[in-house]
Amino acid sequence: MIKLRGVSLVYPNGTRALDDVDLEIEKGSFVFLVGHSGTGKSSLLKLLYREEFPSDGEVIVDGIRVDTLRRGKVPKLRRNIGVVFQDFKLLSHKTVWENVAFALQVTGTRTRDVMRMVPRALDLVGLSHKSRMFPSELSGGEQQRTAIARALVGNPKLLLCDEPTGNLDPSNTTEIMELLQRVNLKGTTVVVATHNQAVVDRMRRRVVRLEHGKILHDDERGYYFRGLGQTAVLPG
Amino acid sequence: MDWGKLRFFLGEVFANFTRNAGMQFTAIGTVAVTIVLLGSFLYVRETIQTFGTGVLSQIEIVVFLKDGVSDAKAKDLAALLAADPRVAKATYVPKAAGIKRMQEVLGKDFDTSLLTSNPLPNAYHVRVKNADDVPAVAKKIARDPRVAKADYAADTVQKLLKTAAVLGRAGIALIALLSISAAIVIANTIRLTVFARRREIAIMQLVGATNMYIRLPFIAEGMLAGVLGAAVAIGVLALAQAQVVPKLAQTLAFVSFHVDALTLCLELLAVGAAVGIIAAWLSVGRYLRT
Repeated sequence: MIKLRGVSLVYPNGTRALDDVDLEIEKGSFVFLVGHSGTGKSSLLKLLYREEFPSDGEVIVDGIRVDTLRRGKVPKLRRNIGVVFQDFKLLSHKTVWENVAFALQVTGTRTRDVMRMVPRALDLVGLSHKSRMFPSELSGGEQQRTAIARALVGNPKLLLCDEPTGNLDPSNTTEIMELLQRVNLKGTTVVVATHNQAVVDRMRRRVVRLEHGKILHDDERGYYFRGLGQTAVLPG
Repeated sequence: MDWGKLRFFLGEVFANFTRNAGMQFTAIGTVAVTIVLLGSFLYVRETIQTFGTGVLSQIEIVVFLKDGVSDAKAKDLAALLAADPRVAKATYVPKAAGIKRMQEVLGKDFDTSLLTSNPLPNAYHVRVKNADDVPAVAKKIARDPRVAKADYAADTVQKLLKTAAVLGRAGIALIALLSISAAIVIANTIRLTVFARRREIAIMQLVGATNMYIRLPFIAEGMLAGVLGAAVAIGVLALAQAQVVPKLAQTLAFVSFHVDALTLCLELLAVGAAVGIIAAWLSVGRYLRT
């Protein structure tokens, strides 16, 4: 699903966010990207949906060379990728229903399909009963579920989450992680960048640890901190 | 037709439009001022042109013959005049007919009882096909030895038309400047809307909306501001016409104030829309590139 080959990313101010990263993520897998703030987790995600260009190397998502993709083709790429952020990025003057529908409406989806797809996404995240509420009337967890519904409403193959639980309390965090697991079970590839140790350790999924823009280790069924007895998979 | 799509689109445009109502008001006002000036300018220009060309087409060169030129020689001149391709018609007006004509024109003011003899020379009244040729034809005729004088009243009219042309060029420059300033105000207004909607735009880009789709509501917004400005301007112009023109028509009875109002309105609306669209395109384009 995702292939990075020799990817480096240097920002115009000289910061080296990623340094010669090789990474492969299988279709249908669930992967944590972990590391301190500023180690390149967000930058890596941004490369995948073409918010950033690599300074060097190849980025391939679902068979598409993202780094050389023409600007006009970016919208099509992004319709296949759902992205969720720490701050939800919901539109405060629109209801839950409208926020989710927005993603379809602005990509020219027919009204008939919007009417069919939005309820399904809301049902998946368990917010059908709050579809007429505004974001300000929801809990943090519910707002993030709305954002996830918006990310998933177009049935993307890949869901990228950048610190999805960063603003949430522990019970809401659990709720969101369970939801992401359910989404993954339905076949969507899920990549979660986080520095929430509890979440990573409880889930026991593949863990890719970044440090200073490099992959420090990459473990199948890993922990947030390595060396707790699990099997190690060396980075390719 | 997908009505849901249309409703969503119009909803977005309306939301944009009402978001900076104050700024929008300024933009509409600027467009309106520009277009009022443009409209009155076009109106005046068309009136002058209609008047000028109307008068010119009726201009006759009056060719007075020298005394003592025989009728036969005068007839020769007629052939010569008719041979010139620029001449439409040459009418011979002998003395007697000339005085009769004068009486018709001047009526009671022209008292022939005081005259002991007819002071008028024999004359030709020459109509020229193209008003622009009048001076050249008159000059040519004046050179003929039989001719005492070839006179025409076109000088004043021609000066008028020349002035109108100069005014026209100055006016176009002025209106171009005004249009640019109107476009800048609209562009700034839309930049504010774009700024106010940067979250929406970011999300649209994130979920894969095309730049064209993102741009469209702003273009529509710009067009709306332009058209509304033009509509206000047309209202002002119509009011001005209703108030001012009848008074002018009284004093300047010989001038026709008839202007093709529908064409003028459509032209002004088109100008307003164009200014708005161009301004919007530029201001959103800059944002989407960065």
